[in-house]
Order: sequence, then C-alpha cells, then structure tokens
Amino acid sequence: MPRLARIFVKASFVYFVAALLLAALMALDGLAAGQWLRSTYLSQVHLLVVGWISQLIAGIAYWMFPRFLKEQNPQPRGSDRLAWLVILSLNVGLLLRFALEPFALMTGRPWLKALVALSGVLQVVGIAGFGVLIWGRVRTMEI
Amino acid sequence: MPTTTRVSVKASFVYFVLGSALGALLLVNRWIPMWDGLFDLRDTHVVFVVDGWVTQLILGVGWWLLPPLQIGLKPGDSSWKRRGQTQRGSEPLFWAIIGLLNAGILLRSLCAPLFEWTDVRLFDVLAGIAPFLLLAAAVGFVVIMWGRVRELKRR
Repeated sequence: MPRLARIFVKASFVYFVAALLLAALMALDGLAAGQWLRSTYLSQVHLLVVGWISQLIAGIAYWMFPRFLKEQNPQPRGSDRLAWLVILSLNVGLLLRFALEPFALMTGRPWLKALVALSGVLQVVGIAGFGVLIWGRVRTMEI
Repeated sequence: MPTTTRVSVKASFVYFVLGSALGALLLVNRWIPMWDGLFDLRDTHVVFVVDGWVTQLILGVGWWLLPPLQIGLKPGDSSWKRRGQTQRGSEPLFWAIIGLLNAGILLRSLCAPLFEWTDVRLFDVLAGIAPFLLLAAAVGFVVIMWGRVRELKRR
C-alpha cells in the first residue's frame, strides 16, 4: 500500500475513533463540557462522513483503482503534489471546523463564522482535488 | 472496470463535489447571510453526499468487485470459467437500478427546495415519489447482489 494511501487510511481511522468517542461522551449526562459537546454535533457528523467514510474511500481508491500507463502519466497514481494538497486541504478543513464551530455556534462571533466558512471551502478544495486526481483512473484496465 | 461501474463511480464523484460545495455555501451563508432560502438546500447537501456519493459508489464498486455468480458450473467441476459481464448478473437490471437511484436523488434533492421556494404543488408530488424510487433501487440492488455475497473457492 503506497505511503499516501496509508496516510489517508490511518487518518480515517483516527477520525473514526474520535467521532465515536464524541458520540459516547454526548451520551453521558452531567458533564461540565455538556454545552460544548452538544455544539459539536454537526462537526461530529462531518468527522464520520467526511473524515472516516470519505477519506477511507479516497485512500482505498487511490491505492486500488487502475493505475495510469507510462505513456499516459509517468506517475502511475497521478500527481503526488495534488494528492498531498487533497490530504492537507481536507484534513485542515475538517479539524478547523471541529475546533471552531462549537464556539461559533455558542458565541455567534463573525470572525469565528468566517473561519468555519473557510473550513468548508478548504474541504471542497480537497474533495474537488480528489475528483481531479482519480478521474482518469476510472477506466478499464488494459492488460 | 465495467462501463456500469465507471458511470456510477464518476457520477458519485460529481455528487461528492457538488454536495460538498453546497455544504461550503451553507457555511458561508451562516457567516454572511445571503439568502434565507439557502437553508432549504441542507437536505440536498445531505442527499447528495449520503445517497449520491457514498451509496452510489458502494453500488458501483460492489457490482464490479463482489464474487461472480456461480453460472455454468456442473456438479463435480473443480474450477469455474469467467463469462464476463453475465457472471455479474443482469446488466440491464443494474442500469435500471442506477437510473432509479439517480432519479430518486435528483427528485428528492431538487424538488423539495423548489416546492419551498415556489409553492408549486407538482414539486411536492415529485419529491414525494422520490423515496419510492430510492427504495426500488435498494431492493433491486439487494436482489441482484444477494447471490454474489458468497465464499469464493479458489482453484
């Protein structure tokens, strides 16, 4: 399994545990951080759907989809730089949202909302980058 | 990768990008309120990502990769021969399943907000049909794939 795929997959494992840990904490009553925890609900869903499921899919697809032929692209799995951009953009966006959204919801401060909006844009950049990275590999395999 | 899978996988990528762009737009709208009606697109965002991206990708890759049907084996055969697409199951039925899934996704995700914005009854009716199209796609997929969830005996 190539290094970039391993990073996608291991990151997805971390989000899987983190999201379910949050869910378990939410189920506990009377915690001092109760209001903060409740405010993380939307972020928690995104940790699961984007951080765990989508990132795992991205990693496995990056690993297993038919590779480019040498004459199509000297890099058999596509641009490493683009793959790194996808990983960084997606994960920075996810973590930024998780860190700031509860406070944005609790306080309503415009600068916090702006950063949460930026987190969404970063995730779209990562996802669009993944689409570009993998599109040409959705093909039949020439033997 | 068969054509059926390529179509459903590429469609899933399009939904993923569109769904996440909608999500980002909703976050931006929370910061700089542009239009109240944007909130009605929240369900569209969820349907695009969960049904259009995750579910459709699973259907396409499952169709491609799950063990083939045991066709053409005679008692006592110790090996099986690939017969191409027919060993995946009925291709026309799989096309119908993908068609139903995408019709359901588009009707559900577009007609519901259109009804909220325009109050035109037809959109409400079309949005109401969508769950049944999605259900038909799900039932069709399970029927077509059930026999392929099996142990793969290697030669």
